[in-house]
Amino acid sequence: MLVLSRRANQSIVIGSDVVVTVLEVRGDHVRLGIDAPRTVTVHREEVYAEIQRENRSAATVPGAVLPSLPRPPR
Amino acid sequence: VLVRSERLGDLEVDDAKILTFPEGLVGFPGDTRFVLVEIEDGEAYRWLQSADDPRLSFLTVIPWHFFPDYEPEIDPITQQELGLKDVTDAIVLCVVTIREATPAPITANLLGPLVVNTTSRVGRQIVLADSGYATRAELVGA
Repeated sequence: MLVLSRRANQSIVIGSDVVVTVLEVRGDHVRLGIDAPRTVTVHREEVYAEIQRENRSAATVPGAVLPSLPRPPR
Repeated sequence: VLVRSERLGDLEVDDAKILTFPEGLVGFPGDTRFVLVEIEDGEAYRWLQSADDPRLSFLTVIPWHFFPDYEPEIDPITQQELGLKDVTDAIVLCVVTIREATPAPITANLLGPLVVNTTSRVGRQIVLADSGYATRAELVGA
């Protein structure tokens, strides 16, 4: 992993069109600003990881026979 | 086109019915072509079967059958990229997880719904960051 030290208001450039700027550092809290083309999706890692984990569990439905699925309430 | 499915058997599917997820689902970037298959006796559910990998299928649910107040906010960039003029132009499905526990809770991922343009049949799994929706919302039946 590349490790860089940055202060508030300093940036890093990723590729040619993604710029990450440290906006504010306060205690253990860092605010980042991200400039990226609209085609690049940016997510907090933990949210993305949670959806990825859920998709992986969902992709392997156990057993050949489905349990009876809940019927929608009316 | 013939779509093979370990779960559903061989499916003969009209080419026009193939859904394309250009980025795949989150964690499954390589699988971009899917078909939706209705479930006998389960109007709220659909199978999402990979058109290229017979082993890959997801059970999905039309969320409003169980969560009538669900309001996924589709961000403007996604709307533009999927060519959605209005949310009603979209099919919205939530991926269902059935766990190997007893009793097995059956949950739907409301945080990362699948959104598909009904006309172009192009879709994406969106992430509703900061929405407060759960990845494991239990489907409570009647």
